[in-house]
Amino acid sequence: MKTVVITGASSGIGLEISRLLARKGFNVLGVGRSEANCRRAEEMILSGNANAKFTCYVADLMQQREVVKVADETLSYLDGNCNGELHALINNAGCVRSWYMTTEEGYEQQFALNHLAGFLLTYKLLPALKKARGRVIMTGSQSHKGIRIHWNDVMLRRRYNPLTAYKQSKLCNILFAKGLNDRYASAGIRAYVVDPGLVNTDIGNKETGALVNFIWSLRKRHGVSPEIPAKTYAFLCEQEPTPEGLYYYLCKEKSYSRQVTAENANRLFGLSERLCGIHYGEVQSL
Amino acid sequence: MNVMITGAAGGLGRAFADECGSRGYNLFLTDINDDGLQCIKRGLERQFNITVVTKACDLTNAESVDNMLDFIDRHEIRFDMLLNVAGLDYEGDFIGRERENLVKIVLLNNAATLRITHAVLKRRIPGRNFTIVFVSSLASMFPMPLKATYAASKRFLLDFATSLRQELKDENVNVLTLCPGGMVTTQAAMSGIRAQGFWGNATTSPLETVARNTIDRALAGKSVYVPGKLNQALAFLGKVIPRSWVAAVVYWRWKEVSGRGLIS
Repeated sequence: MKTVVITGASSGIGLEISRLLARKGFNVLGVGRSEANCRRAEEMILSGNANAKFTCYVADLMQQREVVKVADETLSYLDGNCNGELHALINNAGCVRSWYMTTEEGYEQQFALNHLAGFLLTYKLLPALKKARGRVIMTGSQSHKGIRIHWNDVMLRRRYNPLTAYKQSKLCNILFAKGLNDRYASAGIRAYVVDPGLVNTDIGNKETGALVNFIWSLRKRHGVSPEIPAKTYAFLCEQEPTPEGLYYYLCKEKSYSRQVTAENANRLFGLSERLCGIHYGEVQSL
Repeated sequence: MNVMITGAAGGLGRAFADECGSRGYNLFLTDINDDGLQCIKRGLERQFNITVVTKACDLTNAESVDNMLDFIDRHEIRFDMLLNVAGLDYEGDFIGRERENLVKIVLLNNAATLRITHAVLKRRIPGRNFTIVFVSSLASMFPMPLKATYAASKRFLLDFATSLRQELKDENVNVLTLCPGGMVTTQAAMSGIRAQGFWGNATTSPLETVARNTIDRALAGKSVYVPGKLNQALAFLGKVIPRSWVAAVVYWRWKEVSGRGLIS
C-alpha cells in the first residue's frame, strides 16, 4: 500500500484529495489545523468507505515547531508501518490574510504557511521520499503569473497587500518545485505544482477581514467543486511513467510564469533555507 | 543601537522587533513567554545580521525584574532605546470582572512600566541620545465605560509620558506616546475588529506601518503619535466634547458591540 501525506486535509481541496486517494487505495496521512475539522474529515472519509485508510494529524503548520513535530510523528509512523517509504507529499495547506500578521518567528503568515511550511516539511520528509522515489505536489495558482519575488522585502513589511502576498507565495511554490527537481530528479524525486483553478472553498473566509471575506464569498460561487482539481493530484500521484512536467491543470501540462528560472529558484532556496535553519543538497548537474 | 522591547513575543512587540531588526538594531527582548522569545529570536537572527538577547521576565514581579537587571548588569548591556509594549486588557463591565484580573491591568500597564522605565533610564549609554516609547492607546483619549480600567491605565501612560518628556528634555531623552486604534495583532484581535463592523475596520491601522512610523517619529523627537486620520479626528473630538457625553456615546457603542455576542 502506497502512503501519501496531504497538508490542509481537513477541508476544501485537501479533503477531496484525501477522499479520492483513500478510495483509490492509498494510505492517506492528513494534516489539519483544527482538531474538530480533523476528526470530522476522518469520519467523513472512513464512514463512506470501510477499506479506506486515513488518519489526520493536528498541527498549525504556520509555526515551524509544529511542522517539525508533525514531521517527526509522520517519520516514525512511516518507519514503523510503511518501511520508511513515502510515495507522495502534497503541500496543499494555504491561507489568505487581509493584514500583515506574523508567525512566532515574526514571518509574514501567508509566506510562512503557503511556502515555508511546505519547504520545511519536504526537507524533513526527504529521506522517506527518496526511499520511495516519491513525488512532491504543491497547490499553486494561476495567480502566480504577473508578479516577481520582492527579494528586498519578501515578507512585504514595507507595503503589504493581501493579493500581492498571495500571488508571491504561489510563485514561490513553483520556484520551490523547480528547485527540488533541479536537486533531486536524479534521485528519482519529482515535484509538481497543480493549478486547481477557481474552486469553491472557504480559503478567503477564514480569518480574513470584511473586504476579502465579501469578495471571496461572491467569487467562490463561480468556483468548481473541489472534486475537479482532486483528480489532477491523483493523476500526478498515480501516473506511470513519472510525468515530466512542472505545472498541471486538469491533468494536463500548462505554461507558467517566465519568472520561474533556475536563478530565482536557487535564490529562493537560499533564502528559505536560512529562514528555516536547514540546508538541502546542492543542484545536480544533469 | 541597542533597543529593549517589553512584550516582544507577540503582536505589536514582535512587529517592533521585526522593524528594529530590519534597521540593523541590536535587540534585548523580554516577555513572560520564553518559548515565544526563543522563536522570535530565531526568526530575527535568520533574517537580519543583528545580536538578539532574550530574557523571560514577569514584569509585575519585582524579584523577576531584579533578576533580569542583574543579568543585564552582569553582561554590561546598556541601551539607546526602550519600547514599553507589555500590557494587557480584560474587556467588560467593572463589577462583572474578576477582582484580581482588574488589578493586574494596572500592575502591568502602569506599575511594571514605571519599574522598567526607571531601571532602563539608569542604564543608558552615557553621552548618547535616548528614546522611550510608551504604547498607550486611542482609548487614552476618552473615558471608556466597559473598558474603564484599561482606558484609565492608558491615560495614565499618556499623562505620565508627557510629564516625563518635559523632565528629561535636557538629558537628550525623547519620549513618544503611541496611541493606536485597533491593530490586527492576533486572531482574537481580528475577531474583535470584525465584531465592530465598519468602525472596527475604519479605526484599524496596519501593524507593520505603525511599527515603522513609531520608530521614525520617536527618533525625530515627536511626542504623540495617533495612527490614522480618522483616529486623529476621534482623538480631537475627545478633547473638545464634554467627557460625560463621550462616556455616554462610548457606553452605548460598546454595549451594542458586545450585545452581538461577538466579544465578551
